[in-house]
Amino acid sequence: MSGQPDFGTAPRPSRAPLWDRVALVAGGLALLASGAAAWRARDEAGTARVRLAEVHRDVETASRRLRDLEGRARAGTPLLPAADAPPARIVSTLASLLPGHARLDGLSIDYGRGGVLQLNVVAREAAAWDLFLDRLAREPRFREVEPGPESRDAEVRSPVRAVWVGGAP
Amino acid sequence: MAFLGTRLYLGLDASAVTAAAFGDGLGRPRPRALADVPLAPGAIAPSPSAANVVRGEEVREAIRRAVSGLGRRVTLVLPDGLARIALLEVPGRADPRDFVRFRLAASLPWPASEAIVEVLPAGRGRAVGAAVRRSTVVEYEQVAAAAGLSVEHVHLAPLLALEGLMRSGARDAVHAVLGDVALCLALFHGGVPVALRNRRRDRSSGEAERLRDEASRAAAAAGDGSGRLVVSGREAARLRLEIGEGVVEQSLPGPAGWSDSEETAWIGGLLA
Repeated sequence: MSGQPDFGTAPRPSRAPLWDRVALVAGGLALLASGAAAWRARDEAGTARVRLAEVHRDVETASRRLRDLEGRARAGTPLLPAADAPPARIVSTLASLLPGHARLDGLSIDYGRGGVLQLNVVAREAAAWDLFLDRLAREPRFREVEPGPESRDAEVRSPVRAVWVGGAP
Repeated sequence: MAFLGTRLYLGLDASAVTAAAFGDGLGRPRPRALADVPLAPGAIAPSPSAANVVRGEEVREAIRRAVSGLGRRVTLVLPDGLARIALLEVPGRADPRDFVRFRLAASLPWPASEAIVEVLPAGRGRAVGAAVRRSTVVEYEQVAAAAGLSVEHVHLAPLLALEGLMRSGARDAVHAVLGDVALCLALFHGGVPVALRNRRRDRSSGEAERLRDEASRAAAAAGDGSGRLVVSGREAARLRLEIGEGVVEQSLPGPAGWSDSEETAWIGGLLA
């Protein structure tokens, strides 16, 4: 069917040349693609902001901990390396000091405060308790021995604070 | 009722209003409905510069009858006899429409600024250019609108016929395309027109003989000695009979069932 010549006088909708229409469509597609890319970049920027805030929090926590440790170091309570106070050696030393009617019920070692020990000792007789304290006080691998409040109902229960000095086994 | 997927053409000429509905689809269009409503002489007078639609009410009524039940949106087909038509060699870099306007401007019987110019590519760097006066087109558009139609496109009957001849690879011959008041004589070689004349018809006695002689002169002027003549359009059957069936042939037949008296070259061009 012919559609080429048209002598009509009414204004017709203008039809752009083929290449113009192709360029228009390509431009539209490029606009959509760039819009989608911008949207993705916006999401990625949001994710990056959240991650950055987490890192800031981690840095702040680490800084706080560093300041705390530096403060302790300046206060003269140096850290005690775990290699200098192995738990097995401390326990075996304490075991050698315990008399027959006494036992060690609990032990904690605070390396951050220079090897402070917290002992929970139970003795069936007051004499055994006194003997343990005497041996502990005289033992050169411990210093600053401070017995806590005693309970002497049927048996003696008491916490004892001491500092591990270490030395030759 | 209008047909779905159809295109409706409405042709107006001095003797009749013709409506043709064609089915859109793959390949060539198929005619679905045809209507030819005769007009009394003088209702339409195709002319380049004078009033064409002389008795508007009569034409409107004929249009309504012709398109009844076929649809409301039409391609209007203007008759031969109101356009300036020429076959021109278009320089390679020139815009064909601008070049045709430039070449035809001096020969128009109206100011060139009032011309609507269209171009039909004709192969080998040539184009068939046509110029119609704007006010003339408006006359036809207004009478169609007054009949309740919406005009989508406006075409020219001889251009539709020539386009069909080119599309169908017309044989080497002088092709006479007849309208009611004017005719085109196109010499075809290798399926494209190499010479074209457009003039008003003289339907007085002896028209067939004059047509044959003119075709011979046109062919000789273009170096074609065969003198073969092919006639299509209004009253083509009568002219073929008068010239002699052995000399003249038919090129753009109408659809099946279309009587010889109703033969219309532009419909043949659409079907070619």
